[in-house]
Amino acid sequence: MKLELIDYLVIAVYFLFVVTIGYVLKKKIKTGNDFLMSNRNIPLWITSLAFISANLGAQEVLGMAANGVKYGLYTVHFYWLGASLAMIFLGVYMMPFYYGSKARSVPEYLALRYDEKTRGFNAVTFAVMTVFSSGISLYALAMLLKIILGWDFNMSVFLAAGIVLVYTFLGGLTSAVYNEVLQFFLIVLGIAPLVIIGMEKAGGWQGILQHVEASKMHVWKGMASASTNPMGVDAFSLVFGLGFVLAFGYWCTDFLVVQRAMISRNLNEAQRTPIIATVPKILMPAVVIMPGIILLALQSQFKGFELPVNAAGQTDYNMALPVLLSHLYPNGILGVGVTALIASFMSGMAGNVTAFNTVFTFDIYQSYIKKHASEKHYLYVGKATTIAGILISIATAYIARSFNSIMDLLQLVFSFVNAPLFATFFLGMFWKRTTANGAFYGLLSGTAAAALTHGLTTAEGKGGWITNLHTFYSGTGQAFTIAWIAFVVCFVITVIISLFTEPKEEKSLIGLVYSLTPKQKDAAKVWYKNPLILGLIILAVTITLNIIFF
Amino acid sequence: MKKLLDLRFVIGLFFFIVGALLVIYYFMNPNGIATPTVNITCGSLFILFGAGMIFLSYFSKISEE
Repeated sequence: MKLELIDYLVIAVYFLFVVTIGYVLKKKIKTGNDFLMSNRNIPLWITSLAFISANLGAQEVLGMAANGVKYGLYTVHFYWLGASLAMIFLGVYMMPFYYGSKARSVPEYLALRYDEKTRGFNAVTFAVMTVFSSGISLYALAMLLKIILGWDFNMSVFLAAGIVLVYTFLGGLTSAVYNEVLQFFLIVLGIAPLVIIGMEKAGGWQGILQHVEASKMHVWKGMASASTNPMGVDAFSLVFGLGFVLAFGYWCTDFLVVQRAMISRNLNEAQRTPIIATVPKILMPAVVIMPGIILLALQSQFKGFELPVNAAGQTDYNMALPVLLSHLYPNGILGVGVTALIASFMSGMAGNVTAFNTVFTFDIYQSYIKKHASEKHYLYVGKATTIAGILISIATAYIARSFNSIMDLLQLVFSFVNAPLFATFFLGMFWKRTTANGAFYGLLSGTAAAALTHGLTTAEGKGGWITNLHTFYSGTGQAFTIAWIAFVVCFVITVIISLFTEPKEEKSLIGLVYSLTPKQKDAAKVWYKNPLILGLIILAVTITLNIIFF
Repeated sequence: MKKLLDLRFVIGLFFFIVGALLVIYYFMNPNGIATPTVNITCGSLFILFGAGMIFLSYFSKISEE
């Protein structure tokens, strides 16, 4: 792939815009609350697009195209089964507690509902996870630019980190959110032409159906057993592991995405943020998964579309999108496509950094280091944390370069921590009897159960570091199973300990627990402002899509 | 400068400029590209999208006033 002046011009215009956004917004930032929470004053359409954009990082853009090659249409389960249900649930049932409790972060909600030790555990693990995720994004971006464009690794790391630093340091969360929305349009409009050109070359939808193996062109067929579908997952693990535990765990409790809804102007908009975001989310497979399926069709018709192998000698599925870009885009629009890729990495990195500085400032610094300082002081801490977050990300990128396996290890540890978290929130919000000790030890037990399951099973040569009791058909199947086991263990242990320990007084749980919180009167509102009606409409559309592509 | 605080204007301006670059590039270099119509088609659509967003930012401003 060789870029020309026009492509570099497009990249330069993008860099100029993201930095200018940060500079312009700088004047609006006066307090820590402005910098870290956007003063809860962001319009609905921006929070909704930022909500899905914060997740539209490199893992999504490159990873889902890769999954499209590996699993075909089955990949849409991450959207039509996982994300959509969880996002609707977040909007209808959970957002009233997050927003209504006036918590500034997800760990702060845990402090209000349970106690400081549960908050501390969540805040520290989340802060570590986000800053390392940001570093992994940076590493992956630099490696991609090195492989496809021949750019120097050091230059890519410092250029991308420097630009993210400038706009997050100047404009804080608002700047990150504004850039996420710009990045959303850039990613969609930069990759959509690739899908159209690719489909035309592959012979349209009929051509794809003819040239891609039939077993990859369904969504539910063959799900009765893990051995009869390309995902290597059975229906129970899919529905319970992905559809419930992993999806709800991520979309309903990960502060990185929940933060985008929490900065809405009022509760109704905070509720509608994830629900409205579901509309582009269920359409997103057309842009992020279709390239992988198109590549399959092109591989069987033309030469030159083969995927390269990585250093381990395995097919590098993550190169699916770059391979299509290099073959189907001429210079000019190629610059837009490459900029879309860069934007996805920077979006992921900035999202992590802004979530990191909020959690560090409010849940670690303000809670444990300096409790009663001025707003100005917390603004400086937030800014300093932004710089620290970027520096740690750069260091992580270099560590990942030297020890490639550290990326796998980090992502594994993250999944152990994330999997049981939803049980802690679910019980806390819907069972007033849940106690702080029950939540804390349930969370620890769930995390340990996740690690143990990984140590006792293998898939694609990974896991089984204690002994191998079971071999999964795919790594995806193993991940889904680990998730639901961790959830069940956390749930059961939390319930048992809660029954034997003293719960909080009911009056202190008003606004934090469903049964103790006055219900909203949505009946008077017009349908498009009613979160429940909106959610049901989108749910019906999602079910219809599942039936059409059954 | 105040206009740059309106995200619709910023997004519109970005796509208008990128679209214009693609269209100009097409007319400067009509031969020798693998898929000649891609740049002019995408460039025109980006310009339209950008102009639409800019119009939207002005239109909502007027209705707010």
